[in-house]
Amino acid sequence: MSAGGESSRERILGRVARAAASRGRLSHPGALATPAAADPVSGFVKCFTSSGGEVVQADRGRPANEWLTGFLQALEPGVVGVAVGPEVPAGLRPRLPDVAAAHAGAGISVAWGAVSESGSLILPSTGTRAVQLLPPVHVVWVPEGRVFARMEDALRELLHGLPAAVGLHSGPSKSADIGRTVVTGVHGPGRCMVVFI
Amino acid sequence: MIRDYAARSREIIRDEPGVREAVTGATIAFDEKRRKGYAEVDADAWRRWAEGVKNHTLTHLDHYLTEAEARLRANGAQVHWAADAAEAREIVIGLATRRAVASVVKGKSMVTEEIDLNPALEEAGIEVIETDLGEYVLQLLEEPPSHILGPALHKSLRQVQDLFAERLNTAPDGDPDTLARAAREVLRNAFIDADMGITGANFLVAETGTVALIENEGNIRLTTSLPRVHVAVVGIEKLLPRMTDLAGFLQLTARAATGQPIGCFVSLIQGPAAEPGDDGPEEVHVVLVDNGRTDVLAHEHAWEALRCVRCGACLNACPVYRQTGGHAYGHVYSGPIGSVLDPGLLGLHDAMPLPFASSLCGACEDACPVRIPIPELLLEWRREAQDEGLTPWKERAALAGLASVATQPGLYRLAGRIGSRLGARGAARALPMLGEWARDRALPKPSPRTFRQLWREGIE
Ligand code: SF4
Repeated sequence: MSAGGESSRERILGRVARAAASRGRLSHPGALATPAAADPVSGFVKCFTSSGGEVVQADRGRPANEWLTGFLQALEPGVVGVAVGPEVPAGLRPRLPDVAAAHAGAGISVAWGAVSESGSLILPSTGTRAVQLLPPVHVVWVPEGRVFARMEDALRELLHGLPAAVGLHSGPSKSADIGRTVVTGVHGPGRCMVVFI
Repeated sequence: MIRDYAARSREIIRDEPGVREAVTGATIAFDEKRRKGYAEVDADAWRRWAEGVKNHTLTHLDHYLTEAEARLRANGAQVHWAADAAEAREIVIGLATRRAVASVVKGKSMVTEEIDLNPALEEAGIEVIETDLGEYVLQLLEEPPSHILGPALHKSLRQVQDLFAERLNTAPDGDPDTLARAAREVLRNAFIDADMGITGANFLVAETGTVALIENEGNIRLTTSLPRVHVAVVGIEKLLPRMTDLAGFLQLTARAATGQPIGCFVSLIQGPAAEPGDDGPEEVHVVLVDNGRTDVLAHEHAWEALRCVRCGACLNACPVYRQTGGHAYGHVYSGPIGSVLDPGLLGLHDAMPLPFASSLCGACEDACPVRIPIPELLLEWRREAQDEGLTPWKERAALAGLASVATQPGLYRLAGRIGSRLGARGAARALPMLGEWARDRALPKPSPRTFRQLWREGIE
């Protein structure tokens, strides 16, 4: 930090403290009580799908990786190569060639958890950000028992092992910047698909 | 120049009728979504809570700034303090030069507009690419953003078609999907090539040092993930005490802005990549910017404007903003919030006549997620302006005329509302202008449809 930066720090903090002292310090109102859904999973599905996310049922009669392989090949256009996050266990990895995320037809991740009230997936940076962001399709395995009713509950639990970055994904990439028409897949994945495990 | 507000408004209304049409349509749609988003939750309770959290934070800002700084350092991020715009630019350019940065990708950020960062980077020989689709359109057009949320919402599809046909070789009648895909291709390469990503921040959580960013496109996630250096430029008022506060603010801000339960993408950034498997940036820098904010904080009334979360709801609700969009205002923060914040940030003299660019109808305050009493603050600035002799009658007349164009035929109702909201003293200060408008009403071109008609059409 430059010498100027150091003095700016003191100057800013000094001015802030004087302003606060002249006004009196106001107290924090406590927690915001948002209602908790009785059934977080169905709450999540409702919210996530209404913002354009997709929830897919795996065929539980087949091994998960086999099912996923067939599912990805049947997509339009069918997926040839995939990028898979390091957190995805062998049994959940499709039997398709691994390619760099920038060239993959789909990215495969396992979510740390999900939030019912906002329809959000919680994706830590250790899951490799490129996998979560670059392919046109993002398929996310979500452990059913890790759907939190409220964002506050999820973030509070996340505090115990906060990684360098966390992404909350709550639907496909969207923009209405051109002619006020919603288009998907502008920068991030145009399809965001959840499969519960 | 802000001083030319009235003249520029007249020009836009007269010479660019498409702007009023586009801005009115877009803001009415946003405003309607916001109403729906509020109706799904106990919005009054959420807004009172948010006001309380922000008031607490602003009156303990020294404490929370120090806490955030310590957390960020512990997380491996570097923290810089900038007293003004020049120092903020110097810090960012210093970082870019030290890391031999040739190209920068940017996420949409009001504060980097405020400090005029792009021209400074370009002058230093660094390529700057705006990656938000709307910002990208404006960068090609060399125009500033016109709205906090939809920077290019004053542009029609036709204008973007013409622009992209010329610059990206798309078909002259390309649909929005085709146009977006063309932009995606250019920008995808930019992300991969860039050495540095620059963003603002919606919030900075003191407890964890978390820089929180809300968006729908995913460009901010890419900006903060792919380049080896991430710089977040953050106004000092963006602090929140705890992660649990952030949980509420993420949802309330999204509802106020677009009616969504949350943005499609939220980035929570604590520091540089540290663990194996994380492909994020090697360096994360947070530049804490004052640039007039401590003046606003010290002001007896205006400090309340620092609660602002830049959701744009007050712009969407404002009948005056709808006539012109943001460009008329002459400063990065436009619309109702601009009219109360700019006098504090720039000094009242330099922000004249913005406090007069309002009909005081109160729609902004009703929409605001942190309950900033914008009409009261406008009147405070008007009183100060009058006390300092800053209000030539002609200008006031022009502005009162503009405001009334937007709200006709509600002048009587308006006067009554001002009286009931602000008491006789407030009304007495505001009403002479309405009288002058009556004498000088030829100035702005009247709206063929009233604000109320447009509003009804938008929701029915
Ligand atoms: S003043 Fe309120 S409504 Fe306007 S942008 Fe700020 S937070 Fe949103």
